[in-house]
Amino acid sequence: MAASTDSLPRFAARKNALAVIYEWLGTADHKKIGLMYIVYALVFLVVMGVEAVLMRIQLAHANSSFLSPEVFNRLFTLHGTTGVFFVGMPILFGFGNYLVPLMIGARDMAYPRLNAFSFWMTAFGGLLLYASFFAGNSVAQAGIAPDVGWFAYAPLTATAFSPGHSTDYWNLALLVAGVGSISGGVNFIATILGLRCPGMTLSRMPLLVWMNLVMGGLVLVTISPLTAAQLMLLADRYLGAHFFDPQAGGSVVMWMHFFWIFGHPEVYVLIIPCFAFISEIVPVFSRKAIFGYPAMVAATTSIGFVSLGVWAHHLFTIGMPSYGNAFFVLTTMVVAVPTGIKIFNWLATMWGGRIRFATPMLFAVGFLFQFLIGGLTGIMLATAPFDWQLANSYFVVAHFHYVIVGGILFSIFAAFYYWFPKMTGRLLNETLGKWNFWILLVGFHLTFDTMYVPGLLGMPRRIYTYEAGRGWESWNLITSIGVIFQGVAVLIFVYNMVWSYLRGPLAGNDPWDAWTLEWATTSPPPEYNFAQTPAVRSRRPLWDIKHPEDPDSKYE
Amino acid sequence: MSATEANIPLGEAAWELPSRGKVGMGSLIVAESAIFTIFVVAYIFYIGKSLSGPTPREVLRVPIVGTICLLSSSFTMHWAIAALRKGRSGAFRAFWFLTFLLGAIFIGGTAIEWHHLIYQENFTIQTNLFGTTYYSLVGLHASHVIVGLIGLAVIMILAVLGKIRPEHTERCEVFSLYWHFVDAVWVVVFTTVYIVGR
Amino acid sequence: MTAPEQKQHVSLPKPTLWPIALALGATLIAVGLVTNAKVSWAGLILALAGSVGWFFQVLPHENHEEVPVVPTPVPIATTRRSVERIAAAQVPHRARLPLEIYPISAGIKGGLAGGAAMAVLAMLYGVLSQRSIWYPINLLGAVVYEHVQVSSAQMKAFHIELLLVATALHLTTSILVGLLYGALLPMLPRRPILLGGILAPLVWTGLLYNVLDIIDPILNQRIQWGWFLASQVGFGVVAGIVVLRQVRIPTWQYPLAARAGVEAPGMMDEEEKQ
Repeated sequence: MAASTDSLPRFAARKNALAVIYEWLGTADHKKIGLMYIVYALVFLVVMGVEAVLMRIQLAHANSSFLSPEVFNRLFTLHGTTGVFFVGMPILFGFGNYLVPLMIGARDMAYPRLNAFSFWMTAFGGLLLYASFFAGNSVAQAGIAPDVGWFAYAPLTATAFSPGHSTDYWNLALLVAGVGSISGGVNFIATILGLRCPGMTLSRMPLLVWMNLVMGGLVLVTISPLTAAQLMLLADRYLGAHFFDPQAGGSVVMWMHFFWIFGHPEVYVLIIPCFAFISEIVPVFSRKAIFGYPAMVAATTSIGFVSLGVWAHHLFTIGMPSYGNAFFVLTTMVVAVPTGIKIFNWLATMWGGRIRFATPMLFAVGFLFQFLIGGLTGIMLATAPFDWQLANSYFVVAHFHYVIVGGILFSIFAAFYYWFPKMTGRLLNETLGKWNFWILLVGFHLTFDTMYVPGLLGMPRRIYTYEAGRGWESWNLITSIGVIFQGVAVLIFVYNMVWSYLRGPLAGNDPWDAWTLEWATTSPPPEYNFAQTPAVRSRRPLWDIKHPEDPDSKYE
Repeated sequence: MSATEANIPLGEAAWELPSRGKVGMGSLIVAESAIFTIFVVAYIFYIGKSLSGPTPREVLRVPIVGTICLLSSSFTMHWAIAALRKGRSGAFRAFWFLTFLLGAIFIGGTAIEWHHLIYQENFTIQTNLFGTTYYSLVGLHASHVIVGLIGLAVIMILAVLGKIRPEHTERCEVFSLYWHFVDAVWVVVFTTVYIVGR
Repeated sequence: MTAPEQKQHVSLPKPTLWPIALALGATLIAVGLVTNAKVSWAGLILALAGSVGWFFQVLPHENHEEVPVVPTPVPIATTRRSVERIAAAQVPHRARLPLEIYPISAGIKGGLAGGAAMAVLAMLYGVLSQRSIWYPINLLGAVVYEHVQVSSAQMKAFHIELLLVATALHLTTSILVGLLYGALLPMLPRRPILLGGILAPLVWTGLLYNVLDIIDPILNQRIQWGWFLASQVGFGVVAGIVVLRQVRIPTWQYPLAARAGVEAPGMMDEEEKQ
């Protein structure tokens, strides 16, 4: 809205403040909703970052008393819940919302109003979760914010062990947000299957669109079990049902199964859109078409299917028959095959290319290496005997943060640097971007490389403090020091966004010389995306136009 | 720049895509199936694990009338859509009303069954694991039937007002997918609760 | 859908507050559960209002607003006009990389040759330092033992079972690493011998240095790392040279259907076929 003397394309006259608020609250435009998702998620990213900083201050030294154990429990519960439901999913839904219709040449999502509803459900869910800080205490003496961990194992969630309403806040917030996510998934699928522009067959869709289609399908079959399990928990806590009540013969292990039937595919819901970013960015900055497009699509869908059968690797230490163990070890390891195919395809895309190391590409390359290591430690943990030793240790914490921060967060940064010009019309500053990348890289490795070691030395997760003399102190101190670097990098990023939004150089329609349809409209795009519906004849429609003597369409 | 500057080509040939309504409803049905799956799994897992009575055999009566009504409502729904497609709005309204009626009989039967269980048998969701899983699974299905009945009623009101014409066939068809799904789920729930679980 | 002239207006869904009302209502129903039932009732009313309002947004006709089209030409052009091509004979207009690879036999040959060179170096070490040709073989074969105390005399004697174990291990590993070299070397950009012959053995030795005590404790007790590294480098250099001397074979440049002779438009470059 604010702008100085620029020549960004304008499509509407200035409006007064009330009209602007109405326009955003009532909008059904996929771009505005996408931006709201992203901004909302960034706010919660800062919130969860602050929670992480507090926990790392507490853990930097042995026998620290910076936080009380109660507060520490609340912090890791909210850090995890926020990260998965109110940062990861919204930010990826936001990018998907913004990009998918543009990339398939559509005017909007299939159900524009449902799209708005999905966002607001997610948004209100997050607010409800954090409302527990203000309201929880006034209703019951026990418990302010939820403190049962992000997977909330029964019977800790039973009314006897978790009196008051703190667990109810967690339960209801995820129910509300879950409805939003499911309707969002429905919308993605209907949009991608039903609104493609002429010529865009399934085999010509950009990989980002393909992967968002798979993500939408996964959302349907993962968030729904969570919703079902939350309904059961709600019945237990409000109606006196006995689903997870051992006193009445109920099984607490059933909650674990139901939660992880959701919980493990959920990490693929988060990582597949990140694969999508990388699959768009790597070819453009390597100046080559993606290597093995059909293999990429096949790998993505097979990851989607296989991910539905791996959940019980979270339960190796709970005790399963040996056949169960063997089955889940094998399925979990099988995931490595399609994932490996993807990594090799990205490398093969770069191989022999004219690589430009602009900031998006730097983050993409960082993603490749870190995601690889995160994935490999995942395979280590997939081995049941290894997991018996290290389950619930800091090794596990390091593993999934390696994937979430080193993989997901890095690719989200890549996506920001790549698509920010399309969303705002202005480029992000490259120098600041490189500072952002290198400082984040140093901070990331300081924090999470060292975090594996105390895990191997036996440090369990979720402890609020530890005794001196176990060999954990220096590792924890380095881990905490790394957080400082990461914080600085995020501040640079925020500064870069604000500064570039106001003063950055104009981007033009196609700053990266890219090939997909979103670069065939103005930056930012008009409300209607394309004045007339475009048509495509290949996977890289803009290449065909830029090189009419040698179009892709002759070869696909 | 050079002479190759060009604009994006515009939409050309006729282009058939799946209907977004059907795709959306199909996706919703997938999500709902996942929810029901979890509840059915919980039901089956807890069969015979209750620590106290009553057992299903002691209290449950098989709702044969309701089941026949609900399953046949799928046929009347199908005929209603077929009639609408051919423009026979009188037949459409008749079959649509019949569908609503059959659904209402089913939900009435469930209400009577629950009333009997709660007040005659003193059997509630708190009684034991059987009560917990029975009321939640059957209740989840009943809530879907109620949502379906509301939808049926709304379309029926529109039909009586003469607002439903053959061009609305697709929208009605999308809604009918939901109703068929609710019927199909009942087959699973019925098998689980009244055949396997008894 | 196709209008040749620039359209003046585009219909887009009109902004509406009913979805947010429904979302807020649904959330308030949940809030009521943790605060006061009255909040739930208010939420229910709001949600019902939202549903009804939404219903009339969509039915009987979707509520549109006409957005004027601002004519903005979006020229699509690139400054990178020239496209680099792979310059080689017998390559179609659009080559599939890599153009040539080593056959699988090259990797096997390289592995066997490298393995032979490594064995010679290891024997040499046995004869020079321990005066026994069996010594290095026994060390490698001892991988089957856990921590046991073995005398030097025993390590110098001939043991048939250790010979068999060591030979099988050595052959398998040599062939596998040779295959890896055969696949990797054409991909490495420059100085394949430096990378495959020196750097890779260094990295491999470094890895073993850390884990050898777990794999083969007897070998770890007696190992001389200088000799070990030398034999690794011997393997790398010889395997690399043998692989590089093999004849490369061209990769398939056309999809399977095209090679099978299926005639279909768009399968390959039409100009070339003429």
